[in-house]
Amino acid sequence: MHRPRTTLWSVTHGQRLRYAGAIASLAVAITCLFVPPLVVRSAIDGPLAGGDAGWLGATARRLFATDSVAGTLWTAALLILLLTALAGFFQYVKGRHAALASERAVRRMRDSLFDHLAHVSCDRIVSLETGDLVQRCTSDVDTVRAFLSVQVVEIGRCVLLFVIALPILIGLSPSMTLISVVLVPFVFSFAWIFFRKVQALFREVDEAEGAMTATLQENLTGIRVVRAFARADFESEKFGACNAAYRDTNFRWIRTLGVYWSVSDILVLSQMGLVLFGGAHAVAAGTLTLGTWVAFMTYMTLFIHPVRQLGRVLAEAGRALVALGRIGEIFGLPREDRREKELDAHALESGLTRIHPLPDRVAGRLDFDAVRFAFPAGPDVLDGLTFTIEPGETVALVGAPGSGKSTLVALLLRLYELERGLIRLDGRPLQSLPRAFVRAQIGAVMQEPFLYSKTVAENLRVGRHGADAHELESATRDASLHHTIDGFVHGYETLVGERGVTLSGGQRQRVALARALLKDPAVLVLDDALSAVDTGTESRILEALERRHRRRTTLVIAHRLSTLRHADRIIVLEHGRIAEIGPHAELISGAGLYARLWKIQSELEDDLSTDLALAPNEPWNPQAKATAKETP
Amino acid sequence: MNGPTEETFGGHVELALWRKLFRYALRYRRSVILLGAFGVAMAVVEILFPLVTKAVVDSVGEAEEPPPFARFALIYAVLLVAEAGCVFGFIVQAGKLRTYIGHDIRRDAFANLQRLSFSYFDQRPVGWLMSRMTSDCDRLANIFAWGLLDMLWGVTFMTGIFVAMFVLHAKIALILLAVLPPLAWVSARFQHRILAAARTVRKTNSRLTAAYNDGLVGLRTSKVFVREADDLREFQGLSTEMYGATVRSATLSAIYPPILLSVASLATGLALALGGFDVLGGTMTIGTLVSLMTYIAYFFHPVEELALRFAELQMAQASAERIIGLIEAEPEIQDSPEVRERIRAASVDCPRPGVAIDGLPSHIGRIAFESVGFEYVADEPILSDFHLVVEPGETVALVGPTGGGKSTLISLLCRFYEPTSGRITIDGQPLQERSLAWLQSNLGIVLQSPHLFSGTIAENIRYGKLDATQEEIVHAARLAGASTFVEALEHGYDTEVGEGGARLSVGQKQLVSFARAILKAPQILVMDEATSSIDTETERRIQDGLRHVLGGRTSFVIAHRLSTIRAADRILVIEGGRIVEQGRHAELIAARGRYYELYVGQRVQDT
Repeated sequence: MHRPRTTLWSVTHGQRLRYAGAIASLAVAITCLFVPPLVVRSAIDGPLAGGDAGWLGATARRLFATDSVAGTLWTAALLILLLTALAGFFQYVKGRHAALASERAVRRMRDSLFDHLAHVSCDRIVSLETGDLVQRCTSDVDTVRAFLSVQVVEIGRCVLLFVIALPILIGLSPSMTLISVVLVPFVFSFAWIFFRKVQALFREVDEAEGAMTATLQENLTGIRVVRAFARADFESEKFGACNAAYRDTNFRWIRTLGVYWSVSDILVLSQMGLVLFGGAHAVAAGTLTLGTWVAFMTYMTLFIHPVRQLGRVLAEAGRALVALGRIGEIFGLPREDRREKELDAHALESGLTRIHPLPDRVAGRLDFDAVRFAFPAGPDVLDGLTFTIEPGETVALVGAPGSGKSTLVALLLRLYELERGLIRLDGRPLQSLPRAFVRAQIGAVMQEPFLYSKTVAENLRVGRHGADAHELESATRDASLHHTIDGFVHGYETLVGERGVTLSGGQRQRVALARALLKDPAVLVLDDALSAVDTGTESRILEALERRHRRRTTLVIAHRLSTLRHADRIIVLEHGRIAEIGPHAELISGAGLYARLWKIQSELEDDLSTDLALAPNEPWNPQAKATAKETP
Repeated sequence: MNGPTEETFGGHVELALWRKLFRYALRYRRSVILLGAFGVAMAVVEILFPLVTKAVVDSVGEAEEPPPFARFALIYAVLLVAEAGCVFGFIVQAGKLRTYIGHDIRRDAFANLQRLSFSYFDQRPVGWLMSRMTSDCDRLANIFAWGLLDMLWGVTFMTGIFVAMFVLHAKIALILLAVLPPLAWVSARFQHRILAAARTVRKTNSRLTAAYNDGLVGLRTSKVFVREADDLREFQGLSTEMYGATVRSATLSAIYPPILLSVASLATGLALALGGFDVLGGTMTIGTLVSLMTYIAYFFHPVEELALRFAELQMAQASAERIIGLIEAEPEIQDSPEVRERIRAASVDCPRPGVAIDGLPSHIGRIAFESVGFEYVADEPILSDFHLVVEPGETVALVGPTGGGKSTLISLLCRFYEPTSGRITIDGQPLQERSLAWLQSNLGIVLQSPHLFSGTIAENIRYGKLDATQEEIVHAARLAGASTFVEALEHGYDTEVGEGGARLSVGQKQLVSFARAILKAPQILVMDEATSSIDTETERRIQDGLRHVLGGRTSFVIAHRLSTIRAADRILVIEGGRIVEQGRHAELIAARGRYYELYVGQRVQDT
């Protein structure tokens, strides 16, 4: 995959002002929180020590016109409450805006990931694991999200703490300030070094959990195979190993965290002890007032914990960068429409517009010219195919598994990018036509059709937006599906997929067919599309297809000779090459695969004829049936 | 359907349920006790710290001679080490409980899932089961580990602080006590809402995950129908929902701490004023005032934790119910007590040739369906009063329209479902009286949409016989007609098939699953449209291979293609759950019935 081009900075685009607002609120909140210890200090050093109330006394005089000690103390209490409440309010503002900023940035990232994946070409994605891609879009995005919403703010807090706290502390007592921060670098670096060191262990835990989940998922999706092979013990053993490995690595991780927290606690408590005893010494020596000492102890609790957090946050920021890199790799997958955009840009620059306007509907002539295809670092799947399909012609593709039939369909639909050779639609190279246009002209029913987790009607309307009930029914009738759907309790509003009903293979294929029929394309591709449909239903469907549109180019991949027989011409693929091509009658007289398939079949037919001849019942006229099935 | 029910909020804590789960914790009694001890010890240490501060402050204030700092420092150091020790101790013990309990719950649930019948899985989507096995397990284990710790620590800590403050200054302590109930109530409400919001986030997140997954699995379909823009619009709806949910959750979380902080500052202010008067009156030392204020700051820590744990406990009720439900679910189909008794008895005198694990003959001879009826949904029978006798070694083909009951028949034979009426027997012995494991390990099943596991092709074939050698695997692949395409692959048998076999075409998957079944060398072979995506020639090769390896074994074939079924010893035409016709191919053709109608349509010769 490509080099990442996503950076933390680019991710926050458009949200930086909001972030600045959040950080500013945080600064106000921190400032507010730093005043109450000063209030306490004034109270202790002033009225409580029997001395001058200083600025606290002045505030009490101004606000409440009181000069009494009690009034001063109550003023102090009120100030503490007000300042803390104010700090609380700004902390809330900070939290809300940090959330808004980060969630907006993340929403944009999610949307563009989804959009990007929808536009990556299929030949690039086929070699990647769906699970891995999904994980990048979810867990990795979440890691980045955590960084943006929590960690960025945490770093900001630490910086602000030092900017705001240090001047105050130094103003109070430079020597005590030194004592207060002497262990802080150690607290920070210990956290930082520790969490950098344990990244590997953390990844191990992550991987162990992933392995456990993957094993579980596989077991549950394949549970019927597990039961059919009576492999419960084998599976339990396999899962048991993953489960125990996850438990052990996770426990090891938690124990390591235990070491961190206890050592870190020792450092933090030592630092506080230094302030306690260093301050006591200074107070005893008369170089520090009691109130200032107490203020220092309070300040310690305010900033030692964020410092401890900072080490961890910075160390784990590495994870966000790794996650971002993995996300960037997805964005690095080339979009299939990139070349189109370049073409358009080129056309604009040279002042040219497309000379020939595109028709609404093509005639459906297809030329394949020396078409070759191979997956990266793989052998040729297709090795120089040349043939032509005339408008309205029906061509069937036959071949053993792996001979390249489905790849040919993928190339025609521009799901895979053609490497060498040319495919033309109505004489225009596919590459020069917009993808959306090509796909709008071709209706395809795939081998394992995908249905959306929506209602049957919504799935059908994927073929044509806004199709009315009548149109839906006409398509489902032709696909021999209407009665099946009518039999469902919720009819066309039945939900399909995990949350709804599970359709059988044959039903799914027929929904996909009806969907393609609604689209009413100029070219229809059926990729093994009726394999799970019984023969009676199949012949009804084929008849309906012929009734429907006699002038539609059709490309059929099938294994039943009864289906193949309908084609005007048959192409036999062997190892990515055309072994034979021609009408049925011609091919059966040859010596190739088709003739062999035919021989198998005709042996059956001969037997059948013999059986029929021997059968005593009324005579049967094969001609009548056969002519009814003749293709146009 | 009592499976995927929605989670319920609030409600009381059902003790019987938790007692069952608590048994998981009791296996680690030592850790539970240690965890409790560390929690209490830590609370005590934390209460002592402010007292040291008080002593130091007071000693500075009053004494003229140098204060005994060394002694205090020593005490401080001891407390420091004790605290660090407690922290390490409770993290390790809580970690141990959490990981081990999670592991044990998961293990038991998994083991039970492997026993449960197909009908259980028909009602529960994989995603639903996955959440039970991952997040529910983690949540419960977490409650036991950290919940237990926080309860003990929190209660000890708050009680200890209260006592200490009461001794130092009764009035302030009582004020604090008065603030506690409303604060606890507010906290509990907040934590509940925060958790509920977090749950909404999680649920939306799993929908988001499903959307990405659908987007990738349905990539081709979306492209072919030029749906990219529509899909994105739908996704944006979802991602906006997610945005709303997370912002709401974050906002709730941002409101709560300031409230707690403000209440604490109110208490601090009161302590300063009230305590200040006493200091002035000479009834209290400055050191006491300082320690009081420190205690107040400490006092509110556990409130947040306890409220969180309580809310978690309330909300985990549903998780607990579902997990216990999963672990205790009884398979609808399992060995009866008598069968189990026989298995125990048979296991004593070792495996004997010709004897199955349940002590009965291991050879499968005549199979009979005796008046079998079946319905998935009440009053919608799939099969009714079905009779069939299959002789040993016979190949039976099942044909007929989709939904006629062919696959159901096979599921019943494999005992994936139990007949609602009638019975199936093997050599006169009802299936219910045989060991389920024995029966299923003697079946070879190949399905139309075969499921492969991720791993190599060789590993997938080996699933049929776990100790198979490479030669056996290659041999099976050859017999299944899979060797041609496998050997043409760059990595041959070591080619990774991807998740669920996604990198192979349907036809290739069918061939691999054929090889898998052949390697198992089952007594009964079941093929449910197993060659639907394979060309007739390859299919012919498979049939030859099968004849070679499975000669004389009973087999059931469901197929639509004439070439597949023609060679069967007997063909059954099944419609509406009944056999409408049966016989050899030639007989059925001659009969001019349903079979004739079905297959004359497949004739292609223009003779």
